[in-house]
Amino acid sequence: MKNFWRILAGIAILILLWQLAALGLNKSILIPAPSETLRILFHNFTTPATLLAAGQTLWKVLLALALAILLGLPLGLLLGLSDAAYNLLRPLIMVVQAVPVISWLSLVIFTWGIGWRGPVFISFLSLFPVAVLTTVAGVHDLDKDLLEMARLYQVPWKKVVRDIHLGSLLPFIAAILDVSIGQAWKVTLVSEYLCGGDGLGEAILTARMNVDIPSVWALTLGAVLLGLLSEAAIKSVLRRFRHAWKRS
Amino acid sequence: METLLKTTNLCKSFDQLEVLRDINLRVAPGERVALLGPSGAGKTTLLKILAGLETPSSGTVENHARRTAFVFQEPRLIPWRSVKDNLLFVNPDGDYKEALHSVEMADFANYPPADLSGGMRQRVNLARALITQPDLLILDEAFHSLDLGIKTRLMESIQQRWQAKPFGLLCVTHDPKEALFLADRIVLLSTRPAAILMEIKTLSDQEQNIASPDFLARESKLIQLLSNKTQLD
Repeated sequence: MKNFWRILAGIAILILLWQLAALGLNKSILIPAPSETLRILFHNFTTPATLLAAGQTLWKVLLALALAILLGLPLGLLLGLSDAAYNLLRPLIMVVQAVPVISWLSLVIFTWGIGWRGPVFISFLSLFPVAVLTTVAGVHDLDKDLLEMARLYQVPWKKVVRDIHLGSLLPFIAAILDVSIGQAWKVTLVSEYLCGGDGLGEAILTARMNVDIPSVWALTLGAVLLGLLSEAAIKSVLRRFRHAWKRS
Repeated sequence: METLLKTTNLCKSFDQLEVLRDINLRVAPGERVALLGPSGAGKTTLLKILAGLETPSSGTVENHARRTAFVFQEPRLIPWRSVKDNLLFVNPDGDYKEALHSVEMADFANYPPADLSGGMRQRVNLARALITQPDLLILDEAFHSLDLGIKTRLMESIQQRWQAKPFGLLCVTHDPKEALFLADRIVLLSTRPAAILMEIKTLSDQEQNIASPDFLARESKLIQLLSNKTQLD
């Protein structure tokens, strides 16, 4: 309960600083007042167009996240178990991780043009190395003594994977999600802004082109709130899964 | 004479470090053997080779046991599984209640290992070995983290279990009392590289009274012998 009030106090201080900055500058084209931003936020997020844009961004985020996890986990497992494969593919993964979003743009635009594929692909590329390398770290962290014990008692491999490997990797999967959700939102919004064709990123671009800065702030705040909500939802699902797995 | 476990000229080296030298050991079904030697002699390496967890550098191992159980020096429990699930992990059809009861841990079946003390975790380690109903039980300094009271009771519990249904027992220890109490035969090992120095027959079960003057005298003799032999080596 103490933490709840502290978080609330932190948010209140943030809004207060924002209000002071807006009053000090007195230029809504630079920093609109929180009250104005919140009013536009509530107005925008009750219109079908903005809700549709939010939905379009959300599914891109979830798709990129799902692809990164579904492809990154098995590859991470493989690389974790084989030093040869790890040394072979590590440079490629490091390069993918280091290439900035903007550099993928020309490739994406020339390949697919403007549309949903570009943001999903670019988001996926920004998340995939994290998923792979974190899984590799998880596999390297496996307790070899537990595996030796399982070998001695001739425990079937399926059970070993479920009870030892998965149990050991779950905290790392949680860490991947922890790092990736915020990243996925940021990269998807930027990609939509640059080559999206729809979604909240494209709505921010339109607002900016109309020099409607309060709308830019409101849409950004909306995206941040949606990001936090989706993060909480995914973490809750993961917690339930961990709980169910522990009881299985 | 039937053989449960046999090694012939067993040697093991790690790079330049020679750990085991020409170990010729034989354990009959239902026989209890203690390997007694100083710390760091290579006893654990020998046990791991016997259990098939390590390969020898040269020599052969014949293990005819259908089920080998190993009580490791450290508990090796799955941290995210309960005590009960740790036992069922190695034998899903086993009687976990009976196994836990025999190590005085019956009330802790649903506890996660993190909530147990080091000694309690070690008792679960022993219960996990017992639930497999092994015909070869290997104890690697299994009682080192236990206080004297529980250690004695657990050794008695293993004795009773053996008397009810004999199984091969191979225990490694540097505690002469433990060796005298648990084994029919004590194999004395030298310092590294471990080699067999001599073998000693122990008292029969009927004479095994840990507090008797005879037992204490034997223990004292064994300590002296161990000290002289390992120093000589």
